[in-house]
Amino acid sequence: MNRTPLLYPLGILLLLGATPADVLARIKLTTLPVRERVDIQLDHPRIALVEEERIVPLVKGVNQVDFSWANTRIDPDTLVLRILAPTGAQPLNAKVLSVSYPPNETALVWSVAASASGAARMRISYVLGGLSKEFHYRAVADRDEKTLNLAQYLRVGNAANEAYDDARFWAGVGERFEKPLGLNETKEVLLDRFAAVPVRKTYTCDPVQFGYLDRAQDKLNVPMHYVVKNAGGPLGREPLPEGKARIFQDDGQGGSAFLGEDRGAFTPPDDEWELYLGLARDIGVRRTVDRNERQRIAGNLYRHEVTLKYEIENFKDTPVTLDIVESVRQIRNDLRGDNGRDPEWQLGDGTLRQPDPEKSDADQLLFHVDLPARAADGQAKKQIHTLRLTLNNEW
Amino acid sequence: MTRHPTLYSLLCLFGLLLPLALSARNVDLATVPERRTVQLTIYNSEDLTLVRETRVVTFKQGVNPLRFSWANTLIDPTSVDLRFREPKTGLDVLDTTFPHDKPQTLYWNVHSDADREATIEISYFTSGISWAADYLAIADPDERHLRLESFVRVRNQSGEDYENAQVRLVVGTINLVEKIAALAKVPVGRLNELKREEYRDLRQRAARKAMASPAPAMELSIGAMAADMAEMTPKEIVKEGLSEYFIYTIEGTETVPNGWAKRLRSFEADAVPMTVQYRYRPREYGDQLTRLYLLKNDTASKLGGTPLPDGVIRVFRANGHEGLSYLTTQNLKYVPIGDKIELNLGVDPAVVFELVKQKVYRDNFWLRIKGGNLYRKLGENGLKLELDSQVAGWNEHTVYRQRIRNYSRKPIAVQIRRDYPGDVVFRSQLDPTLHDFQTVQFETTVPAGEKAEPAYEIILRQGYNQKQNRVELQTGEPGH
Repeated sequence: MNRTPLLYPLGILLLLGATPADVLARIKLTTLPVRERVDIQLDHPRIALVEEERIVPLVKGVNQVDFSWANTRIDPDTLVLRILAPTGAQPLNAKVLSVSYPPNETALVWSVAASASGAARMRISYVLGGLSKEFHYRAVADRDEKTLNLAQYLRVGNAANEAYDDARFWAGVGERFEKPLGLNETKEVLLDRFAAVPVRKTYTCDPVQFGYLDRAQDKLNVPMHYVVKNAGGPLGREPLPEGKARIFQDDGQGGSAFLGEDRGAFTPPDDEWELYLGLARDIGVRRTVDRNERQRIAGNLYRHEVTLKYEIENFKDTPVTLDIVESVRQIRNDLRGDNGRDPEWQLGDGTLRQPDPEKSDADQLLFHVDLPARAADGQAKKQIHTLRLTLNNEW
Repeated sequence: MTRHPTLYSLLCLFGLLLPLALSARNVDLATVPERRTVQLTIYNSEDLTLVRETRVVTFKQGVNPLRFSWANTLIDPTSVDLRFREPKTGLDVLDTTFPHDKPQTLYWNVHSDADREATIEISYFTSGISWAADYLAIADPDERHLRLESFVRVRNQSGEDYENAQVRLVVGTINLVEKIAALAKVPVGRLNELKREEYRDLRQRAARKAMASPAPAMELSIGAMAADMAEMTPKEIVKEGLSEYFIYTIEGTETVPNGWAKRLRSFEADAVPMTVQYRYRPREYGDQLTRLYLLKNDTASKLGGTPLPDGVIRVFRANGHEGLSYLTTQNLKYVPIGDKIELNLGVDPAVVFELVKQKVYRDNFWLRIKGGNLYRKLGENGLKLELDSQVAGWNEHTVYRQRIRNYSRKPIAVQIRRDYPGDVVFRSQLDPTLHDFQTVQFETTVPAGEKAEPAYEIILRQGYNQKQNRVELQTGEPGH
């Protein structure tokens, strides 16, 4: 059969007046029903499902419908042919009888029985390799870093060797949209815009996760993040898919300054979307172990009294909140070695007594500490905070 | 009809040749009686297909040579068998010759006691024909019902075109091997000790035995086939149980040329009731909350007409816009009639599943005094145990919260199973059950858009305190 693979990499052919015996002979006369509509479903994390609708003229009796996909990466095992409810006045009952797979061809032949001659609306669905999707974001913070304008983009790459003149896309989030997608084209569309989203700028020290700026001087790293809660206002209806975010800040002069970029993790509604901004140089945190004493309970069973001291300076001219994160297990391991057991602990009467209940558990403690701006004379006031822990029943 | 000239078995009747002198005779005259009926019985697991074909041959009184050849096919020559269907008497095979100079050919000398037309049946085994089941499941947008379609796909790589063949598919595998074992008089486990030829021979005998009675459809005439082609409804696949087998007989006849594959619908069921369950079973599904579609292969579910043979199932969900969402592809294991069907859809990003360790504490310490056999409980009788004593036993309490956040638009049912080896008390108010002696199971539902935090406490009796190896369920407030 003369197929024109370049013009019709994905072709559907109707074999006129064919009988099943024609399945053997591959020379036929065919009509070429065109695509009426294409839906590209990108809602699955890894797989692109293409659905095309075609109006296929059928004659009364058994028809052979030939579908071929030369030079494309259709997974033929996923092909589903559905005959949709007829829209016209003339009711036509059509049914797929069987599918034949000719040897050494990227094609198949559906045997379709029709109750009358007429056109049938068919939807052909298949998994197509080579269509990729990627989300990315552009976040522009306002001058005082209280709100963020967030734009969400979808980038669809077409390495599937098939052009779609007009396809309706759905990425699993956002609205459906219609765009043409050419061969080897990459298309980027604005999927959604979230205006004036409240943002929290956090300063965090966490010796386990972020480490030390200067270990010998006990100085901790203080990374900064923008934290957006995927809830409230325009957000919170859908998850934010994983993707790269470019972060800008309004420079107050009609432009924006580039602050950096980070990969935002998949964030379900109600969760926090965190973007790393780099290390804060204007906040100094020195962490020392001030006390480490043990008392024998009995035999080889001990109780440890531990005090951690934080000397904190804010050299910024704005007040900030510092998040101090500690792993009790890590503290225990550092001070008396790892015995493989979970630590049993109680908080003592240090200044850090109220861990954030949402973000603390049997191991991790998170405290919020408010730091005032530096004084008018330019001097940063050093704050001292203590974390007192009793580690019980250690041996 | 097109045929690959080199790829067909040929039955020739030498009307003019007298009893065989197979010496250097290169000029032949032959007539080729056509196949009247063909039946294929495909034993998938063994790459074995029993072919029975009938042909009408005219015999003259006396000895009639018949030639049967199978160039470029995968026929097993030792399995070729000739029988007389009509008339049953008056015809005899005198001898069978495999000539040295013509490979893939044999000759029969048939003696007939009169001039007559006879229907003969030739049967043989071939490899290269296989079949596989596959399934398509499309759930409704609201995921309360699904449409299940089952297909069989017959693939012919045997080198021979089988036209208008009645196709029978044998579902079930073990039994054939068992029958081979029975014939060989060896236990199933020692079958691999049989010689290759021996095994092949036994396999064929077992298969023939299983298919002893030819199906009545064998009598189909050509006319019936032509009528069949005009048939406008999908072919029915008749399922019948035979001993431990299930045999699927495809209605009418099929033509599967060499190299082709053909897929036919085995059954379809609309609006099959289903439920959605979320399960945490690390042993089965890994360390994740897995979403499943659950349905049953029974008549109440509009199924249950046949066991479901092993096969790939593809699962979609209708999106309500005439389109589909791809959910998963998985291998369905053989499902007997009445059994459950579980479709694993993997993790649902709209449901967040986190285990939070809330609190840890220890009590009930026992100390071993001076390395001897004396154990004392800490705090008992105001006794202060000093220096030379070691912790020998204690109870470790861990309080957990299983946080489940449901961001989907539907309430969800969640079932959680966790293994706790050792001497364990599971304290909660969750109304749990024991799946086995060390596995606790509990269930919860989470309304749409909300979260649930079932809490429980694990008390692990360690060292000297461990008296048992099992989980004990206790009702109580965790952490108290």
